[in-house]
Amino acid sequence: MERNLDEPPAKRIKPSSPELGKFSDNSSPPHHSNPSDKPMSEPSSSRGQIHGDMVGSKGLINRVEFVRVITKTLYTLGYKNAGASLEQESGIQLHSDSVNLFREQVLSRNWDGSLAALHILGISDGDIVRSASFLILEQKFLQLLRNGKATDALEVLRREITPLGINTKRIHELCSYMIGFGKIGGESPSSPMKVLEELQKLLPPYLMVAEKRLEHLIEEALTMQKNACPFHNPLDSSLSLYADHRCRKDQIPSQTTQVLEGHTDEVWFVRFSNSGRYLASSSSDKSAIIWEVNEDGKLWLKHTLCGHLKPVVTASWNPDDTQLLTCGWEEDIRRWDVESGECIGSYQRETIGFISYGFGFISCGFISDGKMFFSCLNGMDFCISGFNWERLKRLKGQRNTNFSDMAVTKDNNIIIFTDKNSALQLLDVALQKKRFVEEEHTITSFSLSKDEDFLLVDLVNQEIHLWSIKDEPKLVMRFNGHKRTQLLIRSCFGGLEQGFVASGSEDSRVYIWHRGTGTLLEALDGHSGAVNCVSWNPANPHMLASASDDWTIRVWGTKTC
Amino acid sequence: MMELDPRQYEHVAISDADVRNIVLSYLIHNCFKETADAFLTSTGMKHPVDYLVDMDKRKSIFHFALEGNALEAIELTQQLAPNLLEANMDLHFDLLSLHFIDLVRSRKCKEALEFGQKSLTPFGKVQKYVTKLEEFIALLAYEEPERSPMFQLLSPEYRQNIADSLNRAILAHAKLPAYSSLEKLIQQITVVREYLQQELAKDAPPPFSLKAFLNS
Repeated sequence: MERNLDEPPAKRIKPSSPELGKFSDNSSPPHHSNPSDKPMSEPSSSRGQIHGDMVGSKGLINRVEFVRVITKTLYTLGYKNAGASLEQESGIQLHSDSVNLFREQVLSRNWDGSLAALHILGISDGDIVRSASFLILEQKFLQLLRNGKATDALEVLRREITPLGINTKRIHELCSYMIGFGKIGGESPSSPMKVLEELQKLLPPYLMVAEKRLEHLIEEALTMQKNACPFHNPLDSSLSLYADHRCRKDQIPSQTTQVLEGHTDEVWFVRFSNSGRYLASSSSDKSAIIWEVNEDGKLWLKHTLCGHLKPVVTASWNPDDTQLLTCGWEEDIRRWDVESGECIGSYQRETIGFISYGFGFISCGFISDGKMFFSCLNGMDFCISGFNWERLKRLKGQRNTNFSDMAVTKDNNIIIFTDKNSALQLLDVALQKKRFVEEEHTITSFSLSKDEDFLLVDLVNQEIHLWSIKDEPKLVMRFNGHKRTQLLIRSCFGGLEQGFVASGSEDSRVYIWHRGTGTLLEALDGHSGAVNCVSWNPANPHMLASASDDWTIRVWGTKTC
Repeated sequence: MMELDPRQYEHVAISDADVRNIVLSYLIHNCFKETADAFLTSTGMKHPVDYLVDMDKRKSIFHFALEGNALEAIELTQQLAPNLLEANMDLHFDLLSLHFIDLVRSRKCKEALEFGQKSLTPFGKVQKYVTKLEEFIALLAYEEPERSPMFQLLSPEYRQNIADSLNRAILAHAKLPAYSSLEKLIQQITVVREYLQQELAKDAPPPFSLKAFLNS
């Protein structure tokens, strides 16, 4: 955004005697030490009296501040004349005369003048004055140095900068520049505008209205409204200023838009592809199906992938959705080409190097770059391998259950896996550090949020827990209401900015909660068997798919779909 | 092997010649020429080869360094031991910095600035000198360098340190011992006593204190 050099010049035509208005600010009250300025008194004369001090229905907004912020916004937007008119009509100057003088001096690189102007601004906090002086003198120093006047620069350093008694480290750096090493080459001259901005950050806020102040205040209000909106799941995520934002319930998928019948037995797993263009499903009928999403939002069967000899428990997409990895229950892992539906590889536990146990794989998935995959063996062994059978990493868990899960962050640095029955281990590969998510009940499955800062953990006690894992793992929210007693039921993140959590349930319903507040929003009827897994389309916040024991997959959408 | 109680050391026999050598090595190391001469004459010991010539030069070099007159010290060192400073970059750097500090001490800041730009900047290319360089150069920022955080650079102790290093380097260059035997002996005793203290705890003799020893 173009910075406004169009602010009013220091001298302008003033009507009668404009007061500067009361600068009500909590830090230092302005001093009356400045002879050239009008005294900063209450706006009890001229215009202040007519309109009153405060505006807004709650009496929270100070009139003078409000007008100044608006004036600043007008100038920022480029409406010079409007800005000047407002100053004139309201009698409230955006910047006092002394501030205008200061700005002029800085913008014309007149550092000695800037310093003098700084001192008549009437700032009582000595630390602030010192920091600002340091900044100005630093510019003076650097300018002299650039013009080849090293000795003069040295004098400035010794006589003016060092005595300020602050920022010793920077003083030493400046010395290095003088001798000729250090990064002066890389230190390009700051534009005077930038210097002014830096100074503005140091000085008390009432002197100069901060850049984009009004925009900041409004954005805060909008964010608050958005966070408070429980059904916030619009296709278009912009918010209007005209009315307080509140989505209606119809933004959440709640209607069955399609029933997909392609499997001949219980459907255990569904997952949309990364692009949202495909849906993979896997079933106890020993097959997996790739469905394609049409432009009109309808899905049709693209390929049925046969080859497994056992029920297929999971399907994983590679990053560009060209391949699918499926796992047969205690059997093999197979790799499929999405376009052709051909099986391009199959991996047995022996090839990966697991020798002893009698079981096969129970879970698998692509690692972020698509060149490696992880495999889980009966809850105790995890392995990361390459597709040429190179075994890259092996981990051991301590579970005695027969389901387990694993995830790896996109940077390949953190590996998350089910460690004990009721704990997940987060292994930081680079730092060799382990963190744990400790639960009180057995964990059945989990998923990682898109921003990789959260984990959604499914538990046997019919609760879903949301953990924040950015630093030390912390429990953030619980979701319940669904039923789970015997089966493996999976949940997922979804919706706009992953603001919702959905889960299957043994009572044949699909449950949807608001992630931020944990409120149950929907319990969708439709299936006639337990819903094992759900997946929310990453590209379409209005599309949700669910897989059920009733042999079907349902696609859910909003009423308008 | 007789039972030796560390506290009863008077029984150990020492040869006189050994003692004299220790004293002589100390005198030579510290360039006490006249004293060394007198000692040699009184004890009738033989003069070591060439020691006189070197000692004079070494003495002046040492004193120049001690005063902070690094340029003279460098000049003489180049005469006495031509490739010493090239081989000893660290030492060369320390000496040049000493000159810089001297200029700052005499408040000749402009000269210091120029000298720094000319002679010290080339060292800035090597990472290990950079931190030290930054410290020296920073002295320029202060009108009263003695009050700056780097005040110890101006102290006589600092110069003593460098003078000592230079002395040792010259001795080593001439294939003479870099530390006098007396120094080494005292260091050894201190370590042995410390070790005994750790081993024997309360039974051990107290840590070695030269002062206490001399007073006993």
